[in-house]
Amino acid sequence: MSDRSGKQTARLWVSWLLVAALLGYGVVQTAITAAKLFAG
Amino acid sequence: MLSALDPQHTVAPAGYSRWLIPPAALSVHLCIGQAYATSVYKNSLIAHFDTSQTAIGVIFSIAIVMLGLSAAVGGTWVEANGPRKAMFVSACFWTAGFLVGALGIATRQLWLLYLGYGFLGGIGLGIGYISPVSTLIKWFPDRPGLATGLAIMGFGGGAMVASPLSRQLLSLYDPTYDPGNAGSVASSGALVGLFLTLGIGYFVIMMFGVVNVRVPAPGWRPAGFDPATVTAKPMVTTAQVSAANAIRTRSFWLLWIVLFCNVTAGIGILEQAAPMIQDFFRDNGASAVTAAAAGGFVGLLSLFNMAGRFVWSSTSDIIGRKPIYVLYLGLGMVLYTLLALVGHTATALFVLIACVILSFYGGGFATIPAYLRDLFGTYQVGAIHGRLLTAWSAAGVAGPLIVNGVLDAQGEPGTLTAASYRPALFTMVGVLALGFLTNLLVRPIPERFHEPRAAAAPTPEPDTATAAVATEGGSNR
Repeated sequence: MSDRSGKQTARLWVSWLLVAALLGYGVVQTAITAAKLFAG
Repeated sequence: MLSALDPQHTVAPAGYSRWLIPPAALSVHLCIGQAYATSVYKNSLIAHFDTSQTAIGVIFSIAIVMLGLSAAVGGTWVEANGPRKAMFVSACFWTAGFLVGALGIATRQLWLLYLGYGFLGGIGLGIGYISPVSTLIKWFPDRPGLATGLAIMGFGGGAMVASPLSRQLLSLYDPTYDPGNAGSVASSGALVGLFLTLGIGYFVIMMFGVVNVRVPAPGWRPAGFDPATVTAKPMVTTAQVSAANAIRTRSFWLLWIVLFCNVTAGIGILEQAAPMIQDFFRDNGASAVTAAAAGGFVGLLSLFNMAGRFVWSSTSDIIGRKPIYVLYLGLGMVLYTLLALVGHTATALFVLIACVILSFYGGGFATIPAYLRDLFGTYQVGAIHGRLLTAWSAAGVAGPLIVNGVLDAQGEPGTLTAASYRPALFTMVGVLALGFLTNLLVRPIPERFHEPRAAAAPTPEPDTATAAVATEGGSNR
């Protein structure tokens, strides 16, 4: 049972990390572009 | 092997964490959200095929029309076959779209791009968009707005990922390509490489969703959740309505108009964003806003479009669906009026107003599945959502038509000013007013459309042991 619980925890981490990495990349890249609006 | 995709093999065992479902949904929506990033390589495709803007724009139009059609037609199939098979089919169509598109670029056959990215990819878009919605609503009966907001936020986020990624991949495959120069075009080899990379990469990411997604066992509910607390709210039903009956109700078509109005108004700004901010601050023919700054404005709108999907949809769990649409459409009218009258006085004010408007646009998309759940129950909410998305396709045609039609009558691009936009913006105020009034007319569904209680039981049948554990409350968090 604890083995199954451990696998599920790992699966939760991997899933959310994948999503966070993708979204984080998009947000940072967009923020860099958006900064140009106020740079000038 | 493909039997693993069947709904009966998709029922969650006891103890399965429901927090695995939002990232599963996001992994699909983040991929298909690429559809809004096609402008990155549009000029390169025009140069490669030596054709017009319109001929390349048709690829995107076919994809969006197919999105609406496949969501409407395939919604019932998605409900019957479960989210795992639907996500897998979506991944296959989406990837096939890129691969056939790559073949079209390599062989200079534009019709293969229409068939690939437009037709096949569009089917992947429609099936993928609706595939996790009803599953999320079933896993999060206590917070359906938050759950669908999370997933549909991914569609907004997908473009934010794909735009910079596509620029970087094109630069990698073609070192002479300069993404900072609007006139620079990528080589055909780089375009083929981009399509192949995106197609294969998206397939892998979408498989995370396919592997992780589960439907809750019949009767499952979150620990400590009392359905009476939700159904005690106004406009929330305990009854179930089929997709076939839903489209016979007045409230379905009222919601169709509400979504159509909200999307039409938002697309009006979104489609014209970059030239609009330059035109608003044009003096003696020259704009105070540079092209790079206008690009930054578009990026900021994408951020607010994405954030609004999560924030406003989650808020609707607290204040209710009808009141949140009163906010989107009512405050939207005020903001459009302010934009028309005082938007030209300061860049910061213009940007602030436009960003809040775009957050309402995103919020409208993300809240609609929870609104449907409240009115029609969970029985076939995915299929009903699919049928409602035809409003998106219609708005995708109407919004740009209104704005471009009005602007064409005002003068040539590059000579327009803030005053040129006023007729279009006041038209959008009228569109929002129509949506506002329509939302007020939405009423609970009459009993004659309800399913008999036994017939409306959830579709997938779990194995007996799983069901027995699950209906005892399980331990899913």
